[in-house]
Amino acid sequence: MLTIVLQQGINGIVVGSLYVLVALGLTLIYGVLVQINFAHADIVTLGAFSAYLVTHMLSGNYFAGIAAALMVGAMLGWLINAGVFAPLRQRGSELLPLIATIGVSIMLQNAMLLLFGPIPYAFDTPYSSKVIRLGSLFFTLQNLLIILVSSATIVLLYAFLKFTFLGKALRAVSQDRETAALMGINPNFLIMLTFIIASALAGMSGALLGPVLVLTPFAGTSVIVKAFAIVIIGGFGNVEGTIIAGLIVGLIESYTTQFLDPGLIDIVVFALLLVMLALRPTGLVAEKRTENV
Amino acid sequence: MKPLLRIPLLLAYLTGSILGAATSSRATDNVVKIGALLPISGPGSYFGVQDKQGIELALEQLKTGVNGHKFEVQYEDSACSPLPATQAAKRLLDQYQPDVVIGEECSDATLAVMPLMDQAKIPLLNAGSSSIKITEPGNPWTFRIMPNEVMQGVDIATNAYKRLNARTAVLLNENTNAGIGNAKVFADTFGKLGGKILEDIGFGRDINDFTAIATRIAGLSNVDVIPTYTLEGQGLKITEALAQAGIVKGGGGKAIQLGTIWLPFGFEQKAGKAAIGYIRIVQFDPTDQRPVVRDFIKAFKARFNSDPTHLNAHAYDQIMLIADVVKRGAKDAQSIRDGLAATKDFSGVTGSVAFDKTNQNVKMDTVHYMETKPDLSWESLKWN
Amino acid sequence: MSDISRLKNSRPALAEKSVTSRRLWFLVAAITIALLPLILPSSYWRTNLIVCAINVLLAIGLDFVLGYAGQLNIGQSAFYGIGAYTSTLLIMKLALPFWVAFALGVLVAGTAGALLSLFAVRLRGHYLAIASLGFAVITYQILLNWISLTQGPLGIYAIAPPPPIALPWLPRIVFTNLANLFYLTAGFALLVYFILDQWVRSPIGEALTAIREDELSAESLGIDVPKWKALAFAVSSAVAGAAGCFYASFVGTLVPDAFVITESFSILAMVIVGGMGTLIGPVFGAVLLTILPELLRGLGDLRLIVYGASVTLVVLFMPGGLAQAVHVIARRTFLAGAKIEIHS
Repeated sequence: MLTIVLQQGINGIVVGSLYVLVALGLTLIYGVLVQINFAHADIVTLGAFSAYLVTHMLSGNYFAGIAAALMVGAMLGWLINAGVFAPLRQRGSELLPLIATIGVSIMLQNAMLLLFGPIPYAFDTPYSSKVIRLGSLFFTLQNLLIILVSSATIVLLYAFLKFTFLGKALRAVSQDRETAALMGINPNFLIMLTFIIASALAGMSGALLGPVLVLTPFAGTSVIVKAFAIVIIGGFGNVEGTIIAGLIVGLIESYTTQFLDPGLIDIVVFALLLVMLALRPTGLVAEKRTENV
Repeated sequence: MKPLLRIPLLLAYLTGSILGAATSSRATDNVVKIGALLPISGPGSYFGVQDKQGIELALEQLKTGVNGHKFEVQYEDSACSPLPATQAAKRLLDQYQPDVVIGEECSDATLAVMPLMDQAKIPLLNAGSSSIKITEPGNPWTFRIMPNEVMQGVDIATNAYKRLNARTAVLLNENTNAGIGNAKVFADTFGKLGGKILEDIGFGRDINDFTAIATRIAGLSNVDVIPTYTLEGQGLKITEALAQAGIVKGGGGKAIQLGTIWLPFGFEQKAGKAAIGYIRIVQFDPTDQRPVVRDFIKAFKARFNSDPTHLNAHAYDQIMLIADVVKRGAKDAQSIRDGLAATKDFSGVTGSVAFDKTNQNVKMDTVHYMETKPDLSWESLKWN
Repeated sequence: MSDISRLKNSRPALAEKSVTSRRLWFLVAAITIALLPLILPSSYWRTNLIVCAINVLLAIGLDFVLGYAGQLNIGQSAFYGIGAYTSTLLIMKLALPFWVAFALGVLVAGTAGALLSLFAVRLRGHYLAIASLGFAVITYQILLNWISLTQGPLGIYAIAPPPPIALPWLPRIVFTNLANLFYLTAGFALLVYFILDQWVRSPIGEALTAIREDELSAESLGIDVPKWKALAFAVSSAVAGAAGCFYASFVGTLVPDAFVITESFSILAMVIVGGMGTLIGPVFGAVLLTILPELLRGLGDLRLIVYGASVTLVVLFMPGGLAQAVHVIARRTFLAGAKIEIHS
């Protein structure tokens, strides 16, 4: 029994890192723009397909595939910002960009359907079939890679936000756009940069997650709503919160599967979401924002 | 030629070609119109895309017509769901006015359109939905050539108990009509024979990682068989996870995965060693030596450059069966219906067809058992 | 400042709409509804008309809570489903008469909406949006997993249309006739529209608008914000529940997948594309977004791409939605000085 509980813990962390990777980009965008990009998960899917193409059809190396996915993600992020968020920014609406990105999501999914078809792709990498065993516990090398890369990304992101000039400027813009502008920072440029970084991150996640997901053009829909839930549970715009929330949701999934029923996963996760919203809407890690008086 | 003669000749030529074109497009008496209600958009397009290939191959082979009749197909997107299927069916019936309709894939959609076909008196030929409710009530206008969930479930549970000596089972099924329905039949039959269902695990179609489920099964002792009811995307992940957890033969364990018709040929190549020892029912046996099957595989490979799956085969058989009925003299909706009902020994690539009085095909040679060998090829078990 | 107020401020002040002009428009609407099934006699198009009517109900219901009360409720699919399943199960398991089951379905859906509102009373903006989404996911999962109650994915079949109505001076109205079913649903939608229209022009509407613009100030003015929010939610979800009851008896087949959360997004798109600040806007949006995928069927594989593009483009270039477009066109066609007043 102990082995089972431990193994499910590992499984939970693995699934959790999957969610964290997807949710990180969402939280970044939200932190700076206070907007939800509904097409985010489709960028992840497109990243996965890009990596697949490079690795399997162009016989490239897996890391070349990851790099390709990163670039595809970055480009798409730039496009979506330029095409949707920037024009709608003046209107200050909370809903219009959300709806517009829903339209973008539908377009992306169906374009991918045209290009790749509905039959699931088996995306193998040199790491996806190698299993690491510690006693009776196990996980694949691909899973380990996901955890390592997400940890590295988080550390890099942190360093970027805390120590570099651009990072600080980004935080300034997310706290108070007008004042930041007064201080000589160009908010539009920074927002574009955030989008590019967040979407590049999404693309890269796709490359890492491709072997783990059921890879069809609709793979994004299987994770997007939970990714939203994680962003909220962790606290909108809050990176540490998103990570903790992502891991918690992953663990909830595996333990619910073990002790209850996999069909109940969504109910438990979203019930948790509602409880969080009722008790502590700002999220697990309270936002460090202060209101300007 | 005298210039004056050229003009009347030109006019005659033009008139002739216009008349010719007009009459050939109005030759509806000699064209059998087949409506195809298939999921073409959304995740269900997994079925629609493959069905289309089978249909196209069949139509190509029937180009010269049968008994003076040619065949024409009109596709409408039913999206695997009741309301879109209803809208697509009505559009088909109102605007195209087919003589016969093939479809749908998903049981809910099929059940939703059956009353419409019944009302319009157009035969519906189904080869994709397993729910027993489609034929059990005995609708005179609905026909099904694939074995339903009861036929498959009773057969595989009995074989598991008697031929594989299985006494314990863990059911794994996707939370859909077909998944739940099939799992239930297995559970009932296996239980009645004396077997024990250790767990019945249903999962949503948005699950990507099955390690947690595999871990849970690993915690059970002595699992003999794991009947798995899911499509190839999640099916692949399940088989890999079960192997990684050391549960199934492919992963060094003892349990045998059992399945029904949803996993295509080619699954093994994707799953690798994890699929070794997998025993399942398939609707299409690529090792079948009957000439009709060999010819089909050859023609399909030549046209599409890949091995045919059961979905391709089903769709092909549907068109070929309609052609057979036309050969026997049918030409419109009513006569096609009667011809279908009278079918007693049609030989399709998926097996034989003979309808009982509920218009269900009762030939058990449509239920083929295959086992995955260590070299990842299929061995036909010849249990039927 | 929210979209709606900006929209209202940008529109030049129109003359006070007279009661007669409104009554005229309702008459026009009623006549249009009466004529539509006659102009479109095919079974296929009448089916589409009924779907339009149901979507119109969903859209105006959502607009009431979203556009007028300013509450970001994107969980409509939950109430749609609750209404559908409640009425159907009451009819099939307890053999209740259709209209009793209908009323109960509406009541249960409305109560669920009120409860959600009370739960989320302190939440605003995106938080409320995600809370409502979470509620919608939970509802869908319950419908899917509680098989002993709802049949789950196995589905409920052979659901009968509303029973025939025998009015003394008319022949029996049978609802297997699609035209009659359309009249019923569209007539109901028109009635709901009428009631909501009255309400938004009354002090109810003022209270909701006050809450939408600035909740804190509204409270300080003595408006009982939680109560009004609950009312808005209750009305909106009751209307969605009614749509659900019609859906079940129209399609005849009930599966949980009809109420996945992407349905909520479709309804939301109808409201936004139609024009969120008005009550007529969602009607346009519902009709357009129902008919457009049907008209695009000829495009085959490109259909949904064009659909997605249309939604994005409308939002980008016409933020006031179709209602704004109609308004602009009408103003340009009927120059100042014309006696025709624009109903919006």
